[in-house]
Amino acid sequence: MRSPDAIVIGAGVVGACSALALTNAGLKVLVIDRGPVASGTTGAGEGNILVSDKEPSPELTLALRSRDAWFEVNADIDGGFELEDKGGVVVSRSEKGIADLKKLAALQRAAGIDAQEVNGAELQKLEPFISKNVEFGVLYPQDAQCQPMLAAAQIMRAVRKRGGAFVQGENVISIDSINGAVIGLTTDKSKYSSPIVINATGTWAGEIAKLAGSDLPIMPRRGFILVTAPAGKIINHKVYDADYVANVASGDADLQSSAVVEGTASGTILIGASRERVGFKNDLDVSILRQLARQAISLFPVLENIQLLRAYRGFRPYAPDHLPVIGEDANVKGLWHAAGHEGAGIGLAPATAELITAQITGRKTFMDPTPFSPARFVGANHVAS
Amino acid sequence: MHNVVIVGGGPAGLSAALSAAAAGAPVLLLDSNPRLGGQYWRQPDESFGDQGSQHFDLETGLLLINAVKARKEIEVWSGAQIWSATHKDGVNTLRVLVNGKEKIINTGNLILCTGAYDRTLPFPGWDIPGVMTPGGVQSLIKGHGVLAGKKVVVAGSGPFLLPVAAGVVKAGGSVVELLEANKSRRWITSLFVVLENLSKIKEGFYYIKTISEAKVRARFGYAVVAAHAGVNGELDSVDVAKINRNFKIKKVRNVKCDVAAIGWGFTPDTTLAGTLGCKQIVAKDGAVVVSADSNQQSSVAGVFVAGEITGIGGSELSMAEGVIAGLSAAKFVGCKVEVLKAHRARRAKKQRFATALINSYPIKDGWKSWVHQETIICRCEEVKLKDLHYAIDELGATDSRTAKLLTRCGMGMCQGRICGRSVVDLVADQLNVSPTDTDRISAVNRPIITPISLGQLAAGE
Repeated sequence: MRSPDAIVIGAGVVGACSALALTNAGLKVLVIDRGPVASGTTGAGEGNILVSDKEPSPELTLALRSRDAWFEVNADIDGGFELEDKGGVVVSRSEKGIADLKKLAALQRAAGIDAQEVNGAELQKLEPFISKNVEFGVLYPQDAQCQPMLAAAQIMRAVRKRGGAFVQGENVISIDSINGAVIGLTTDKSKYSSPIVINATGTWAGEIAKLAGSDLPIMPRRGFILVTAPAGKIINHKVYDADYVANVASGDADLQSSAVVEGTASGTILIGASRERVGFKNDLDVSILRQLARQAISLFPVLENIQLLRAYRGFRPYAPDHLPVIGEDANVKGLWHAAGHEGAGIGLAPATAELITAQITGRKTFMDPTPFSPARFVGANHVAS
Repeated sequence: MHNVVIVGGGPAGLSAALSAAAAGAPVLLLDSNPRLGGQYWRQPDESFGDQGSQHFDLETGLLLINAVKARKEIEVWSGAQIWSATHKDGVNTLRVLVNGKEKIINTGNLILCTGAYDRTLPFPGWDIPGVMTPGGVQSLIKGHGVLAGKKVVVAGSGPFLLPVAAGVVKAGGSVVELLEANKSRRWITSLFVVLENLSKIKEGFYYIKTISEAKVRARFGYAVVAAHAGVNGELDSVDVAKINRNFKIKKVRNVKCDVAAIGWGFTPDTTLAGTLGCKQIVAKDGAVVVSADSNQQSSVAGVFVAGEITGIGGSELSMAEGVIAGLSAAKFVGCKVEVLKAHRARRAKKQRFATALINSYPIKDGWKSWVHQETIICRCEEVKLKDLHYAIDELGATDSRTAKLLTRCGMGMCQGRICGRSVVDLVADQLNVSPTDTDRISAVNRPIITPISLGQLAAGE
């Protein structure tokens, strides 16, 4: 496919969802990735589809739509990626934490989120193995979970079946344009022409923008995830400490972590959510693993005797204002960005794809996309720290 | 204090410890087993002497073990499991679990002698209880002596089948079949190599004598290609096939048995070395090994490697390499000592024998034809061949890492130690390509070297 209607760069979950939405809208789509499907940040994700960790904001509107969109995608492509409507439980153990959590839940309820306060006894019923000293939590039935690699791969499978093409192992070396409008791109192996290029390269989105002569302030934030040996069904929801919400919104470069603990379809338990801004640093930091283990055990003492099998790291793409970048480039016409979702890329992917597709095809968007526009960085001082 | 830290208490590690200590370097020897000797000289739980007849070359082992124990400069930590290791600015940090407690070792001078484990190939029924590796059967015999009265099939390829069959006979078991997949005429192609390694030939004859006294006849060009469970779910019989040069099945018959010991040589255990950043390369037989210079130094200065992790070569090559690694490490920490020409000559001689041996027991591609769509490839996560094929044909996996992540193949308890190497072969086969070195090397590397409980992890500094 040398002249598709649109080219998506990146076969992670955002790229895959974008390709599916564009294909369903009737466009001939080509997806290009330098590696195999889901070989970047998607392959290092937990599969969080969360509404619980967001304050009322444009991002929450996006998350709410996206959560439902995931179930629509699931029905559309006939599943196969372990999408689970499991719900989340956010807890707090300090007086101030509980007060803040109650306040947040009330605000979220006003924004249309199902957020139910639960006391100690109800918590023990929801999570029989949770620490006895946890006496307050909020249940978010809308939180969900999927296996992100399988999601990207299954969606790409559907895209191919519906006439889309997927080229792996080609590195984009230039975005070609005439008079400030995209005409295609060149890889290390080939040349493709298309009036529309979608940059869904996550952490590497800034590099693609640069190739087009534009600029996008996306930086990497490292995260570790622990995976245990199969432990059976001992944790029912996504359970995390309220601190986590504070960390997500933080711009602090130091390590922050608040363990999100959950079981998976395969019986393993995932413990995740460390966040630190250290660039693309690849070494194993054992102190982070220890901190995650301590926090997980403090929530679920039963985990003490469960074996850690694996630990993996990923680099989450984030923008200075911690909002995703969704929309047409401010300088180059026909270049669209769908990147910078930080730790929420899996959850926000299908709604991101809808926003992009609606704008490209000139249809009505389900929300005002302005807060996510790449134009918000024009003229701003956003030198990476 | 210039401690030389050695990981592994088998033939290479023991030799390295003795030569480093003799050269004047204090040694800390970490061994994951409860007792020294490694897999090769595995000691039984209680007494050692009454099992002595199991092993041709136990005298050498005892000699080394006792010498190590006698030397004050050598401190031994038995039962020491390294769960994580990192290298930074010339310092290697080993995080070691000893009796459930974590200890941290920082050292610039390290000798890795982590050995090898049995190589297995998947086939229909290989997950049935009673199908074991030769190493597993041998450690049952050596450690516990329990095989009496059982009907045992010993099969696969390589010289290690002989001592296992002999061990079964000595332990009172009955070897109903001894099957070598390769043809007998492959065995030892160079007369020169045979003549300069007479001790190994003597060892071979020792086992053959034991086996023939029990009226066991080895068959060449045969393999176990399927196993069947009885009503109790345990092994009842195996399908024995006559195979061609390329391991393709020609004719099959069924053989009743209680235990099948099936092994295809060994896979070097290079995970720790890989974690520390030592350069790994792919040997001719497809095994991932650690690259070493003439002084047994790896690509990381101060990290030396000896024994099976540099390439499968048997105990005598391991000892020759261990001696050189010990001397080199001692020199590295400032001891006045040199590796002698004689040391290198001995290593070269043992290397020639090892090479001849490896050439005699190739594992041919035809084994992949024994595996069916329904055959389980990853026993931990129960991933079947058809699941791998789905990941490749439908989900677009184009390398073994992606196929693994999409199927969980090799992501269970053993972390791919058992199936990882075969998965790389099977994925490449389905993609119609040859496995790349990157595929092979990434299949053995992982940040968590052995599992650790979250409680132990949390308790560490």
